[in-house]
Amino acid sequence: MNAEAMTNVRAAGLKEKISIRNLSFYYDQSKALKDISLPLYEKTVTAFIGPSGCGKSTLLRILNRIYELYPKQRAEGEVLMDGQNILTSKEPADSLRSKIGMVFQKPTPFPMSIYENIAFGVRLYEKLSKSEMDERVESALRRAALWEEVKDKLHTSGQGLSGGQQQRLCIARSVAVKPEVILLDEPCSALDPISTAKIEELIDELKTDYTIAIVTHNMQQAARCTSFAAFMYLGELIEFDTTEKLFTSPSHPKTQEYITGRFG
Amino acid sequence: MSLSQTLTATGETRPRVSARPIGDRVMHALTFGSAILVLLVLGGVFVSLIHGSLPAIRAFGLGFITSQSWNPVTEIFGAAAPIYGTLLTSAIALFIAVPVGLGISVFLTELSPAWLARPIAIAIELLAGIPSIIYGIWGLFVLAPFLQQTFQPWIIDKASYVPGLAQLFAGPPYGIGVFTAAIILSIMILPFISSVTRDVFETVPPMLKEAAYGLGSTKWEVVKNVVIPHTRAGVIGAIMLALGRALGETMAVTFVIGNAHKIATSLLAPGTTISATIANEFTEATGDLYTSSLIALGLILFVVTFIVLAAARLMLHRMEQRGK
Amino acid sequence: MQIADRRRLRSKIFMGLSITAAGLGLSILAIILGTLIYEGASGLNLAVFTDMTPPPGGQGGLLNAIVGSLIMTAMGIVVGTPIAILAGTYLAEYGRYRRIAHVVRFINDILLSAPSIVIGLFVYEIMVATMGHFSGLAGGVALAILVIPVVVRTTEDMLRLVPDTLREAAASVGTPRWKMIISIAYRAARTGIVTGVLLAVARISGETAPLLFTALNNQFWSADLNAPMASLPVVIFQFALSPYVDWQQLAWTGALLITMSVLTLSIFARILTAKKAHQ
Repeated sequence: MNAEAMTNVRAAGLKEKISIRNLSFYYDQSKALKDISLPLYEKTVTAFIGPSGCGKSTLLRILNRIYELYPKQRAEGEVLMDGQNILTSKEPADSLRSKIGMVFQKPTPFPMSIYENIAFGVRLYEKLSKSEMDERVESALRRAALWEEVKDKLHTSGQGLSGGQQQRLCIARSVAVKPEVILLDEPCSALDPISTAKIEELIDELKTDYTIAIVTHNMQQAARCTSFAAFMYLGELIEFDTTEKLFTSPSHPKTQEYITGRFG
Repeated sequence: MSLSQTLTATGETRPRVSARPIGDRVMHALTFGSAILVLLVLGGVFVSLIHGSLPAIRAFGLGFITSQSWNPVTEIFGAAAPIYGTLLTSAIALFIAVPVGLGISVFLTELSPAWLARPIAIAIELLAGIPSIIYGIWGLFVLAPFLQQTFQPWIIDKASYVPGLAQLFAGPPYGIGVFTAAIILSIMILPFISSVTRDVFETVPPMLKEAAYGLGSTKWEVVKNVVIPHTRAGVIGAIMLALGRALGETMAVTFVIGNAHKIATSLLAPGTTISATIANEFTEATGDLYTSSLIALGLILFVVTFIVLAAARLMLHRMEQRGK
Repeated sequence: MQIADRRRLRSKIFMGLSITAAGLGLSILAIILGTLIYEGASGLNLAVFTDMTPPPGGQGGLLNAIVGSLIMTAMGIVVGTPIAILAGTYLAEYGRYRRIAHVVRFINDILLSAPSIVIGLFVYEIMVATMGHFSGLAGGVALAILVIPVVVRTTEDMLRLVPDTLREAAASVGTPRWKMIISIAYRAARTGIVTGVLLAVARISGETAPLLFTALNNQFWSADLNAPMASLPVVIFQFALSPYVDWQQLAWTGALLITMSVLTLSIFARILTAKKAHQ
């Protein structure tokens, strides 16, 4: 980020929610991320763009330590959330993940009712009464702009919803556990344009409360609903800046080539 | 950042266990213990069979395998006749069931229209689940009398003119005997062979077959030159699996083999197999040496089937790996 | 042209043989079922379900054998299923990337097709010989050992069909792994696992060899797990090989009962899987 942008950021009073410092990542022997450093500002949306295999999804999967589900994957460096290195902290991954929600490419409703899909995550960390839980479910569904569509069938299977509804259900599920950060891994890639538009609206809504990182292949989407953007290529961070700057006058020729559609 | 911090940031060195919730430790221990139990069952079978066979092994040594004598009165036991019977019935059963089973799977995968292939495949799989005692009772009451009245007199008569065959099919037609047992066995393993080979045939990429058809190959040539070579490991695996079943099959054979402890040259004569001997005599065995000899038979059977089944699994595993 | 004709002829011959094989196989199996229904149904009456197994030449039914089979099958399932599901869970979840899982899987596959009579000998050695008498308990344990490999296999297969993204999604709302397995993975794989258990029931309800010298047989009514216990397959074995016509008739009827229950279970299991695949 150049000095001018830096000043703007400071002027806006943005706080670093997550600071990624010198982060490298290995799948067994092969190095998938090389010395990445960048901030995620609080209550903003940051886009990760770049050609397939550039490491943007990998980066997202480090932030909530989901990579730990698999063997032979390891991260080196620091990921600070509110100053704490989450990679080395004693905090169990489970409770960390309850603070950092994630939504995946394909909708992943649990094999249970719509209501249960949302209540499931809440019950893990909070003991709520029936009415409190009802309220929480409703507010999460409202937050995800799904309430009106499902309020009469809360106890039917979540897998019976349309793709776009399922994805919003997954967002509601993440929101319900009151995370601080939400990671979106190409959340619209399996959706039709109308559902995509709804999700984008939703992202815009959510950023008032949450720090959001989104991986996307869709340049327009990145331009429409993010404030900051990181361009990655072959496991390296090429450029990080405000979305406006990155899309209008990128400082790196590779970025320029990519956003104008010359490769990727 | 300090060096130690860098090191502990890797997945390898971080103390993960301490961070794991108690629920996970319990669940992990439970599932791991159960998985180990599977190994223990196998180990237990081996150990208990060896333990039970010790008196017989001490008394007869390796001669147990080669001796044909089976005399509960004098307490002299040898396993040659049941081993011979087991191998012979299984060999004949494979000889009959392999071509027919392969024929069925070729029919199902290459010839039959889809609407017919599905019900037939389901029927065959259902039949693979029918208990062996059913085949046994059918063999005893239906097949054995039928063979006794029709096929056996005919083959005895015809074979008597051919040197060599005359001994193999020497009379009288008892109905029950090694040959009938082998036929029943072949019927029993037929569904196994065809359902497994059908599965492996279906792993042949359609493009490969289409390429061969595109060169003007006939169906037979496609089967012979593309399907079979491509699935060889799987087909051999299926045959070994069926062999494993045939070797250990008890009830279907026990009903119809006649339980005679001798090695006869005629296939039509009564004989016995390892499993039939155990099934017939175990509860009536008096004396430790008798019981121990029967358990030693079981040990031999288990070792042989273990080897055959292990080989089968390795073959099928190789096939699966290639399918990926 | 001549070569092509010969090739085509050869293909026709072999394909004809293949059709014959299919016809032959299916008709033999149809004949077996046909005889079974014909012979078995003629002896099917109420007494079969209400009377005890008769002495030679007497009249009677199969009640004690049916009840014995039910008790031991239930025991086999109750003992074997939890162990098997846990072991299958290890293979698919915690142990998925471990070497030991490969070993267990391999051994389990061998146990799946190992001769059941050997399992009978094993249980005889560890239970009957040490306790000094045959018992329904020993029979149930032998059946449980036969249940395990079937259910381990299906449980692992079904859990592996649960997509990893679902596991990740569960993890990403902060679910610990054990909770994910119980609440998400089992739920997603439920139908498949139930199918596996049904197939295991089908398998053990017809098993004879492992019961011959564990539960032995019992001519009388007995629900005592510590005493010898009758079972349908063993009674069929005994009665079919006897010279008495009445006994032979009961053997046929028993065979029909077993076959029908096994086929019903397998068909039911298939319908479950088909429904699942349909969703």
